[in-house]
Amino acid sequence: MSIFSEKSGITRRQFFKGTGMLAVTAIIGGAFAKFGFDVFAASHKYIEERIAGLYTNDQKMVLRKSHENPEVAKIYKEFLSPGEIKPVSEKAHHLLHTKYGKDIPAFIEELKNPHHEAPAAKASGHEAA
Amino acid sequence: MSDIKGKVLKHGEQTRTMHWVHLICFIILGCTGIAFYWDINFISNIFGGPANASLVHRWTGVVFTVGPTLYILLNFERFARFIDTISHISKDDIGWLKVMGGYIPGFKPDYIPPQDKYNAGQKMLGWMIILGCLIIILTGFPMWLWRYELPAVFLSFCYNVHFWTAIIMMLLVSGHFFLAAIHPTSRVEFGSMMLDGYIDAEVSSHHNAKWFNALQKVE
Repeated sequence: MSIFSEKSGITRRQFFKGTGMLAVTAIIGGAFAKFGFDVFAASHKYIEERIAGLYTNDQKMVLRKSHENPEVAKIYKEFLSPGEIKPVSEKAHHLLHTKYGKDIPAFIEELKNPHHEAPAAKASGHEAA
Repeated sequence: MSDIKGKVLKHGEQTRTMHWVHLICFIILGCTGIAFYWDINFISNIFGGPANASLVHRWTGVVFTVGPTLYILLNFERFARFIDTISHISKDDIGWLKVMGGYIPGFKPDYIPPQDKYNAGQKMLGWMIILGCLIIILTGFPMWLWRYELPAVFLSFCYNVHFWTAIIMMLLVSGHFFLAAIHPTSRVEFGSMMLDGYIDAEVSSHHNAKWFNALQKVE
C-alpha cells in the first residue's frame, strides 16, 4: 500500500502569509491590550487622586469629629436628651435612626407616639443609623 | 472515484493534538458559558457550582488561548501552509461554492471543481473560526482581568460581543461536526483529524484533487 504525504518546507509566499497573519494578530492584540493597560493605569491614577483629595478636604475642616461639634452638643442638650449629652437617648433613637419598610402609616404613628414602635420595621429588622 | 490505492497523511500529530485540545476547551467553555449566562444550575453543578464553573471557564480560556499559540509558534510551517491554503481563493473555489460542493440534499451537480487540501467551505470556516476565536479571546480577558477598571459601557459591549460570537461559533462548530462526522460523503474526514491522521488516497484524490496531485509518495 502506498503512503502519501506533503512535501516538507514552505514557499516564500507561505512564509509571508504566515508571518503576516501573526503580525496582524499581534498588532490587533497589542492595540487592544494597550487600551486595557492605559485604562487600568488611568483608573488607578483617578482613584489615588480622589483618595488624596478626600483626605485633604478632611484635613482642612475646622470640625473633624461629630462629637466635638458644638451644634450637635447643643441639639442634644436642648432637645434630644435635655440637660445632658446622651447620644443614644430614646428621642435620638426614634428620630435619628432610619427604618425601612412598607408600612408607612405605622412609622408615622411611631413618630407621633415613640413608645409604640412600628411592627413592620421590627419584624423586618432593617434598621440603619 | 479514482483507482489510486493507499493512505494519505493529512493531519500531523501536532495538528491533531491541538485540534483535540481546542475541541475539549471549546466544549467546556461552551457548557460553562451557557450555564452562567442562562443561570442553569444543572450544568454549573457539574463543574462544582456557579463559582467554580466561572473559575473553570476562565482557566479553560487560558488553555484555549495558549494551546493554539504554542502550536503556531512551534509548528510555524504547518500554520503558514494552512493560512496560505485558506487565503487562496481561486475560480475552482467559487465554482465549488456555486454548487455548494454537492452537499445540498436533492441537488446533484454535474461537475464539482477540484479542491485544495481544504474545500471552499472549509476555507470559509477556517477564517470564521480564526476571527471568532480572536474576538472571543480579546473580549474575554478584559471581562476577567480589568472588570473593575474598564468603563461599564465597554464591559457591557465586551459581554454582548463575547456572547453573540460564542453563539455563532457554536452553530459553526455544530455544522462542522455534522459535515465532518455524520454526513455520509464527508465523514471519512473524521478519522484523519480525530484518530491517526490518515485518509484513503482514493477519497483524497477525489475530494482534494489539487492538493493530492502535489503530494509525494513516501512508501
